[in-house]
Amino acid sequence: MIWLIASALLFSMGAYGALTRRTAILVFLSIELMLNAAALSLISFSRLYGSLDGQVVVLFIIAIAAAEVAVGLGLIVAIFRRRETTSVDELRQLRG
Amino acid sequence: MSVGLWEVLALLLLIGSGLAVVRLQNAVHAALALIANFLVVAGVYVALEARFVAMIQIIVYAGAIVVLFLFVIMLLSAASANVGQDLMPRLPWVAGLGAIGLAGLLTFAVTRFQPPANAPALGGGLPQALGPLLYDPEKWLYALLAVGFLLLVATVAAVVLIEPERIISATGHPAHPRRDKMPTPPMSEQKDEKAVVKR
Repeated sequence: MIWLIASALLFSMGAYGALTRRTAILVFLSIELMLNAAALSLISFSRLYGSLDGQVVVLFIIAIAAAEVAVGLGLIVAIFRRRETTSVDELRQLRG
Repeated sequence: MSVGLWEVLALLLLIGSGLAVVRLQNAVHAALALIANFLVVAGVYVALEARFVAMIQIIVYAGAIVVLFLFVIMLLSAASANVGQDLMPRLPWVAGLGAIGLAGLLTFAVTRFQPPANAPALGGGLPQALGPLLYDPEKWLYALLAVGFLLLVATVAAVVLIEPERIISATGHPAHPRRDKMPTPPMSEQKDEKAVVKR
């Protein structure tokens, strides 16, 4: 039960970081923290229910996080080469 | 569930390293705090009978993902600095209040949760127990295959994203051909030129 509360706290901290960080890399780092908090809650639910399915889902989360990081960091590097910045305040061409 | 010294220590380490990840101004320090957070979470996984996932967490998350982050942070050191005018100077307070509210809501939700009594033991979460589930066609086999395909696609995407022009020109469809890196002409043209020289 205490780990469910810990995962709630970690998730909120990651959300705070994703909102307040101003460069894309650090926003991405906070999103990794939120993913990790979700995985922690899955593992503790898996323990509480006595079922291994939660752990299998966490394995998938880790694999998908690896794919996400590969694509996301590739995007950040490509944007930085073209725009010389990754500040999320300056990358707002898609805003109406 | 009794709360012992080790739980309190791990909880404090989790909260401290999490706050360091979202508050430290130096991006390298934030990434190192993220590694610390992942290692503590791996320890918690071992305590929660998920030993295989704990090892994967250390190898993939702390070992590969954060190191990739560190590579990019150090490669683009200018990209990780807070530059320019802050458009929303009051945002940290609002986001802090929102995060505290979210934490309160989630904590309320999980403390209302009643775990079922006498849940079966997990056998330590070793690969012997996880493998049959992963490769069972009625459970997770197709999800596993889909994740494998996703990893392949992500790898190709990461390679293409770095230099799209060169990839496109190498496949014979030059979008922006550069003079110094023009693709070699096809074999048929070379043969024709040689034939012309012989004549």
